[in-house]
Amino acid sequence: MKFEIMRDRLLDGLSDVMKAVSSKTAIPILTGVKMDVSADGISLTGSDSDITIQTFIPAEEDGKEILRVSEGGSIVLQARVFGEIIRKLPTNEVEIEINRNFQTHIRSGKSEFHLIGLDPLDYPQLPDVQEEELFSIPADLLKTIIRETVFAVSTSETRPVLTGVHWEVKDGELVCVATDSHRLARRKTKLQSLQEEHSAVIPGRSLNELNKILHDSADPVEVVMTSQQVLFKSRNILFFSRLLEGNYPDTSRLIPSEHKTQVTVNGRALLQAIDRASLLAREERNNIVRFTTNGSEEVEVSSNSPEIGKVEEQLAAGAIEGEELKISFSAKFMMDALKAIDGQDVVIQFTGAMRPFILRSALDDSILQLILPVRTY
Amino acid sequence: MAGRVIFHIDMNSFYASVEQSHDPSLKGKALAIAGNPKERRGIIVTCSYEARAHGIYTTMPVFEAKRKLPALVILPPNFDRYRAASKAMFDLLRTYTDLVEPVSIDEGYMDVTALSKERDAIGIAEEIQLRIRNELDLPCSIGIAPNKFLAKTASDMKKPMGITVLRKRDIRERLWPLEVLEMHGIGESTARKLKSLNIRTIGELAQADEGTIKSGLGKYGIRLRKRANGEDERLVDPDSVYDTKSIGASTTLPADETDDRKLHEAFRSLSAKVARRLEAKALSGPTVTIQMRTFDWQNRSRSATLRNPIYRKEEIADAAITLFDRHWDGTPLRLVGVTVSNVIEKQEAAEQLSLFDFEKHAKDEPVLRLMDKLESKYGKQVLRKGTGRRRIESVSETSFSKDFLDDHERE
Repeated sequence: MKFEIMRDRLLDGLSDVMKAVSSKTAIPILTGVKMDVSADGISLTGSDSDITIQTFIPAEEDGKEILRVSEGGSIVLQARVFGEIIRKLPTNEVEIEINRNFQTHIRSGKSEFHLIGLDPLDYPQLPDVQEEELFSIPADLLKTIIRETVFAVSTSETRPVLTGVHWEVKDGELVCVATDSHRLARRKTKLQSLQEEHSAVIPGRSLNELNKILHDSADPVEVVMTSQQVLFKSRNILFFSRLLEGNYPDTSRLIPSEHKTQVTVNGRALLQAIDRASLLAREERNNIVRFTTNGSEEVEVSSNSPEIGKVEEQLAAGAIEGEELKISFSAKFMMDALKAIDGQDVVIQFTGAMRPFILRSALDDSILQLILPVRTY
Repeated sequence: MAGRVIFHIDMNSFYASVEQSHDPSLKGKALAIAGNPKERRGIIVTCSYEARAHGIYTTMPVFEAKRKLPALVILPPNFDRYRAASKAMFDLLRTYTDLVEPVSIDEGYMDVTALSKERDAIGIAEEIQLRIRNELDLPCSIGIAPNKFLAKTASDMKKPMGITVLRKRDIRERLWPLEVLEMHGIGESTARKLKSLNIRTIGELAQADEGTIKSGLGKYGIRLRKRANGEDERLVDPDSVYDTKSIGASTTLPADETDDRKLHEAFRSLSAKVARRLEAKALSGPTVTIQMRTFDWQNRSRSATLRNPIYRKEEIADAAITLFDRHWDGTPLRLVGVTVSNVIEKQEAAEQLSLFDFEKHAKDEPVLRLMDKLESKYGKQVLRKGTGRRRIESVSETSFSKDFLDDHERE
């Protein structure tokens, strides 16, 4: 096998697939990147057996030649070393040639590397996902959905299913829910091409990686699901992820349907006030702010830490309806939720100082954030 | 920081001395205090100097000690007696200065800088030693130095009933020729690490390259190197005794154990013990650590930090057993332990509620609302839920227990 390629294009492809490669894998060959070269272009594959990413670099794009193939073939190269070599080559033209016994020569300018490759036949097959596409979604919308939910997944392995985001397709709607049991994020999206019903739990880590490699564009991403895998297909990228096993808790009944106090407030102003109040938190785990309604037009955000000092701030509210309220919660959870809503006015509905409260945008209810308060003693 | 005068008072074979003063017929006899000799936990906790002369030492198994010296008198520990003697000793020290810092039941530091302006420091030390001997019938050694490290090193130089002055200019002659293992703060494993850096004596440590030490032992190494040079800026802090940072309990198992049900049971009973002690001090903490000592004396510990500080025995046991199940590889264990650390006063703690447990807290809402109203009317602290300040009389159950510190009432 022998070909020439533009260094920056190869590097882009490599950096995408490397996101799936881990140095701590039980299967040694997965520390490598697989490269399949044909006259049409190059496929690069990286995997840690949970996530598999394949990118395709076409031989020609918009009438411009990106690579020139003299002879096709396949090879597996150590991902870390190969990536570093390509990154540091002296010129933008790279020639890669593989002889017998997987001896790999990388030439650029006056530099020449010899790398020992691995047998591509030992590399695992791509996950078997033959199903029809479930739906298609613009890449930028998909990225938004991920950003608005994935932060709320659990980081603890005590309930593994909570480390993923629950995707449920039903009634022409995609509902994504993430919760670490202390807060919950839910995003509903109407999609046209939705027909079947489906439910899956996608690992939070997979969605974070997917978010990194997708470009902010309206290009469609096809979503395909089996009982064990989900596949995201964009123009030149295939992203496979294992799904989490186990039943996701039914969260719909956890979301309160009525409330006793409702506060409408500018989301950005509240975010900044909480951010300021949290300056006095001693450490992340004790990052608690107190939120108090003050008559019908004002809320007070305060924080008190015995060793540092205290802070109080009044904030004009658009409207306060219902009972008086005093509640304490994690500043971090509140800021995460407000960032996800990213709206002008936010409606917050409380049912009591020891009960979950919900936040949504005053303009639409596609996003819902739920936070459990903190009990102080 | 210049010109401090620090004493380190170290009670000589404290438990044995207390027993001898309690029963004068034991004076001059080889005496040892040991845990329950029937089970394997029978190791010597302390022994009198007469016993030491016959080769008996702390941590020696009882059966071995008996074989070596059949005349050895072995007594079970009587912690109430030791606590009372410890309290009397520290009360006596406090008649000289408020700057007394108890370190454990039988040793502490005093900062006598102010007092030594009027009186000779050695004279004060002689008087303290004599008074402890006459009034409490107990022997002690006193180290006199410009800082804590040197004072502690000095008190160790002459036992029993020694008074040793260690000046910074003496260290070259008296400290540097010693092996690093002789230095306070250096144990077997640190000594091994130092040896791999070709450092064998305290002098070599003092003169070693700072970068080498730092890369080999980290910040701790830097601190040790400073100490080896006779530098130690730690203040004598009378309040440090109140800063409990962790509460733990451990037990030596009757046999090297491989049965996970029995080990779970041990963790549960240790968790209950830790929970009782947390309760007694109204503390809670978010970090749970388990200790495991294998049959061949390898020590392992694993810890987890939870979102909320905990104090209930069930919660502690859950966390400990989860850690154990995740990390135990089936090696027979001779000792297990549980510690809750980063503890804070329960009143300062806050609990992040969860979707799955908020309902039990929601039940308290009416009471909390009422308390809020009363507080805003009459001011804070007017009332508390339950008996927040309750302090259960705690029972010291191990020789390493720090509960004796409860005896030091804060003014």
